[in-house]
Amino acid sequence: MTKTHLPAKFHDAVVKWQQTFLPDYDFLIENWDKYFPRDRQFELCAFRELGICNEVECGDAEGEPKRTKAAALHPEQAGHLLGAIRAQASTEFGSIQQHQLTLARAQNEEEQFWILRMMAEELRHGYQMLHLLLDDDWSSVTDASSEDLVEETLSMRTGSHILGAFNVDFDSFVDNAVFCALIDRVGKYQLNMQRVSAYKPMAESMPQMLREEAFHLAAGVVPLRRWMEQAARELPYVSTSDIQKTINKWFPRGLEMFGDERGGGTNVRFGLKPMKNLEAQDLYIEEVGKLVRDLNMRYIRARIPGLDLAQAEQVLNRILADRGTDQGIAWEDLVHLPDRAFFRRRGVPAFELAGWQGESFEDLPSYLEHLRRHLPDAYRASRDFRHYVEQAQKLTGGEVTLREAVSAMPGLRRVGGVCPCSKSVRWVAETPQSGAAAGDSGSAA
Amino acid sequence: MSETLADVRIRCLEDTDLGHITGIDEKIGGSYRPEVWERRMAYYSRRDPDASVVAESGGRVIGFMFGEIRSGEFGMEEPTGWIEVLGVDPDARGKAIGRQLAESIMDYFRRSGATTVRTMVDAEMVGIERFFESLGFEPASLRPFVKKLSEGA
Ligand SMILES: CC(C)(COP(=O)(O)OP(=O)(O)OC[C@H]1O[C@@H](n2cnc3c(N)ncnc32)[C@H](O)[C@@H]1OP(=O)(O)O)[C@@H](O)C(=O)NCCC(=O)NCCS
Ligand SMILES: [Fe+2]
Ligand SMILES: [Fe+2]
Repeated sequence: MTKTHLPAKFHDAVVKWQQTFLPDYDFLIENWDKYFPRDRQFELCAFRELGICNEVECGDAEGEPKRTKAAALHPEQAGHLLGAIRAQASTEFGSIQQHQLTLARAQNEEEQFWILRMMAEELRHGYQMLHLLLDDDWSSVTDASSEDLVEETLSMRTGSHILGAFNVDFDSFVDNAVFCALIDRVGKYQLNMQRVSAYKPMAESMPQMLREEAFHLAAGVVPLRRWMEQAARELPYVSTSDIQKTINKWFPRGLEMFGDERGGGTNVRFGLKPMKNLEAQDLYIEEVGKLVRDLNMRYIRARIPGLDLAQAEQVLNRILADRGTDQGIAWEDLVHLPDRAFFRRRGVPAFELAGWQGESFEDLPSYLEHLRRHLPDAYRASRDFRHYVEQAQKLTGGEVTLREAVSAMPGLRRVGGVCPCSKSVRWVAETPQSGAAAGDSGSAA
Repeated sequence: MSETLADVRIRCLEDTDLGHITGIDEKIGGSYRPEVWERRMAYYSRRDPDASVVAESGGRVIGFMFGEIRSGEFGMEEPTGWIEVLGVDPDARGKAIGRQLAESIMDYFRRSGATTVRTMVDAEMVGIERFFESLGFEPASLRPFVKKLSEGA
């Protein structure tokens, strides 16, 4: 594995960004040994894996040497790739902004520290994507300068990111955990697919990111399992219904991160990913199904400690088969995988009136009532949810077409002045001043 | 040679394996210890997930082996692969599952530059000792010493 850093002014820009959006970074580093005594210290850098496959692994150019420069790609191919790198960078930085909103609300210090480490690793992932943007010449497919590309990424906020999942606010620490378990899991699929990328620097960037991703999933799943256990013991903290509603909030956004169910063929032809969108989405749904089953098993065994593994599995199977009650445990006490058409705003089922268990609804008011009952209270007070409802109403009223509703994004709602970094901040220094403190060099537009 | 089981896949540990792994441990040791395995999952998934593998057959995990590469311990400067936690479902024993898991991990250790692989086995666990011997492990000169730290002593 090789390790590199961005040119100083871009590195400084990321550090400045970190000081604003990940203020607990220093706390993490200072206390690293308390929670991760044997782990290598975190470092903000880009890693490239050596010895990865040299030949294009899928698509039209299968078997040809992988490209090491964007200029060696077909322009359309390079355009797709650049879009993917920018989107990936946006997700990495975006998720930190979201986690930061509720990080302080964790009940358990260890779990909080896990999330904090995960945030630092997301910063490294964002840094890795900036490294891809800066280490090559993209002028054949964009007019944007290196500075502009970095600036664009670093100036995005919750509300202006490229993918919907990164524009939704967190309301409690349950969001931190469910997001890791569901949204980072989509990330794992994307990284895994990009591991075969015909663009070698992308392929070489994936292995270390994937290693880190394994922990991100655990950092979500372990707290979820603990909450299931506590709920089974009737402790008053996070209920299974809270978890279910939070899954309902994120799962649809996770599905949409795969892209439209009809698409993905171009990426395969270009050798950038080995699977079309629907194929990857199907695998993801199956995997989330396993997670849900695992959580339910954790619950049942805590609720009836006398059952052994096989007996608990039988109880779960009976409850799922008839949606009934077995040994005092009701279907409603457990968590379930939402239907893939539920609460969608993009892709094939966009704006279908599909219930969380696949029920269909005659009219919008009864569907909205259904959403009211199955989404978290705090989320329904959000800008994002309001936007969905308004688009659904306009669509029903014939004011917009489906295509318009799908492509509408929740408006930017952060305004200058609410925080130290108003819109006018530039992250990348125009002219690097020798001797200037790293923290000062990124601002002043 | 032990008979082999068809359709076995050795792959990296995943978070969704937790329930099955806890189940195998329960079958081996007789107690249900989800908290222990949750901690281990959090630990091994952040150490070096490629060095922790499971064997899957028919959609179920039937064996697991967790390890990592460390150096600088006990005066051993060279990178050493450690096999630390393992278990094969008692119903799937003797079918080379353990061997395949170990070979996969050792292959990874080798590719990552480790020159030695080590493990520690309780002398009372004769089966595990035999297992490692069949894989070519030999007793090492490094011996563990223990002392109980009682309060005030
Ligand atoms: C040790 C263990 C991993 C072996 O798994 P397995 O899948 O049955 O082993 P394999 O079939 O791959 O056997 C590989 C070799 O080891 C030998 N072996 C395995 N278990 C053995 C035993 N109990 N006695 C003698 N030899 C044994 C096999 O004969 C085979 O040798 P061969 O290939 O030369 O014929 C399994 O028995 C186990 O999980 N034991 C309990 C582990 C435990 O207690 N873990 C908790 C502490 S971390
Ligand atoms: Fe990431
Ligand atoms: Fe992640």
